[in-house]
Amino acid sequence: MAKIIHYRSKCIGCNICFEMQPVYWRLSKKDGKATLINSHLKKDTHILEIPDESIQLSVQTAEHCPVKIIKVF
Amino acid sequence: MSITKKPLLLSPVGSFESLHAAIRGGADAIYFGVEQLNMRTKSIPTITIEDIAEVADICKQNTIKAYLTLNTVVYDYDMQLARKIITECKIQGIDAVIASDFAVFEMCKSIGMPLHISTQANVSNIESVAFFAQMADVVVLARELTLKQVSHITSEIKRRDLRGVSGDLMKIETFLHGALCMAVSGKCYLSLHEKNASANRGACVQNCRRPYQVTDLETGNELLIDNEYIMSPKDLCTIEFVDELMDAGIDVFKIEGRSKSAEYVYTTTKSYREAIDAVIDGSYTQEKIQTWLSELDKVYNRGFWEGYFMGRKLGEWTKNPGSIATEKKIYLAKATKYYPNINVAEFLVETGTIRPGESLMVIGRNTGSDKIILEELIVNGVKQSEANKGDKITFPFPKTLKSNDKLYKIITDNG
Repeated sequence: MAKIIHYRSKCIGCNICFEMQPVYWRLSKKDGKATLINSHLKKDTHILEIPDESIQLSVQTAEHCPVKIIKVF
Repeated sequence: MSITKKPLLLSPVGSFESLHAAIRGGADAIYFGVEQLNMRTKSIPTITIEDIAEVADICKQNTIKAYLTLNTVVYDYDMQLARKIITECKIQGIDAVIASDFAVFEMCKSIGMPLHISTQANVSNIESVAFFAQMADVVVLARELTLKQVSHITSEIKRRDLRGVSGDLMKIETFLHGALCMAVSGKCYLSLHEKNASANRGACVQNCRRPYQVTDLETGNELLIDNEYIMSPKDLCTIEFVDELMDAGIDVFKIEGRSKSAEYVYTTTKSYREAIDAVIDGSYTQEKIQTWLSELDKVYNRGFWEGYFMGRKLGEWTKNPGSIATEKKIYLAKATKYYPNINVAEFLVETGTIRPGESLMVIGRNTGSDKIILEELIVNGVKQSEANKGDKITFPFPKTLKSNDKLYKIITDNG
C-alpha cells in the first residue's frame, strides 16, 4: 500500500492540495497550513496510507506543491 | 541644496544574523516577516511567531524601530493566523505592521496596531495616500514612480496637511536599493503559472531571472535579441543621488533584501547610513560616492541602475543569471566553542582549506557579519600553515559566538 508523506512545518498554505484532493486535505483555520486528514504523526512528518487507485492523483498533487513537501511512496 | 530632515533608514531582516548586521550597519529601523504570510516565505529560513518577542527585545535594546511585514495575499483560512501574528506584535511592542490586504487593515485597526501600507498596494498618487490616511501613518509607494511624482505626493501631503491616524503628517516610504522585478509592485503571476508557486504567497521561483529564447512558431526561426535575460532588471541603486531623494521629502528609505545574506544587509545599510549622514553634514562628495559604489559592488547584485526615479522606463536588463558581486564567500567551518575569557573562537573545518593571511568572514546569529584577516593559524592547538577538513582551528575574535555560527573565506573577483 502507498503512503502520502507531508512535511507540514514548511507548508505555505497555498491551498493547491486541497483543491486537487479534498478527500485527503483540508486547510487548518488554526495556523493556515494544509492538514493531511486522518494521518498519523511520526517525528516531524505526517503519514497517510492510501489505496492504489489514489496513487496517480496523489503524485500529481505532490508535483503541484510549490514547496515540494508532499511525497508519495 | 539645503536638507535638514533626516530620513529613517529601514533595513531588511530575514534572520537574526541579518538583524545584528542591520544594527551594526546603522539602521534606524528593520522589517521582517514571520510564518507563511510574508513575501519571502520560500527563500529564507522562516522567523516564527515565537521569535517576535526576541526581535522586539533586540530592537528595543538598540533603540531602533521594528516593523513586521504581513503583505501576502491572504485567504479565509489565514485569518486566525494573521490575527495571532498581529496580536503578538501588539503584545511585544512591534512598531507597525506593513500590509496590503483589507482584511489585515481591519485587524490592525481592531487590535490597535499601527499600520503601514505595503508597496504591494501599488499606491501611485496623492488621492490614494489621502484614502489610506484614514487607517495608516506610512505609505510605501509603488516602485515605478519617478522622483518628480514622489516629490509631488510629498509636497501635497504638506499642502493639504494630510495626517494619518496618529495625528502626524502622513509619511512616505520608498525603496532606495535592491532587487527590482518586471511586475508592477511585485504583482507577478509568472511563477504561479509555471510552477504553481505564487510570488504573492512568498514562493516566487524567479522565472524572470532566467535567460530566454524567442522563437517564431510559424517558421521556427529564433529571433535576434540583444540580451537573453529579457525579463530580469538590474538592481536599484540610488547612492549617487541620495541628496535628491532627501530633497524630495521622502521620510523612510527602504533597502530591499530579506532573503539576502547578513553581509549584504551590513554593507548596504552602512553605505546608505554614511551617505545620508554625509548629505546632512555637507560632506556628500563624488569621492565618497565612488567608495560606497565599490562597497555595494562587493555584495550580491545584478548590476545597478537608478530604477524609475529619473524617468527611465524598462530597459536596464541584467546580462547575468545571478550576482556580479566583486566579492564571493565560500563556506569553510562551523563554530564549536567560544572562550570568553580570552576572546578566542574555535571552528571545525568542514570543507576547503584555510591559510594564514586569508580574508575571512564570520556570520553569527548574535553578531551579524564580521570580516577578519587571519593573521595566525592555530590548528588543533599548534601553529600551522594550513588547515583542512576535520581540523579544529582557533583564532582571536572579539564577539561571543554560538555553536554552528559560520566561517567563510572571502574571494575577490575583479573580472
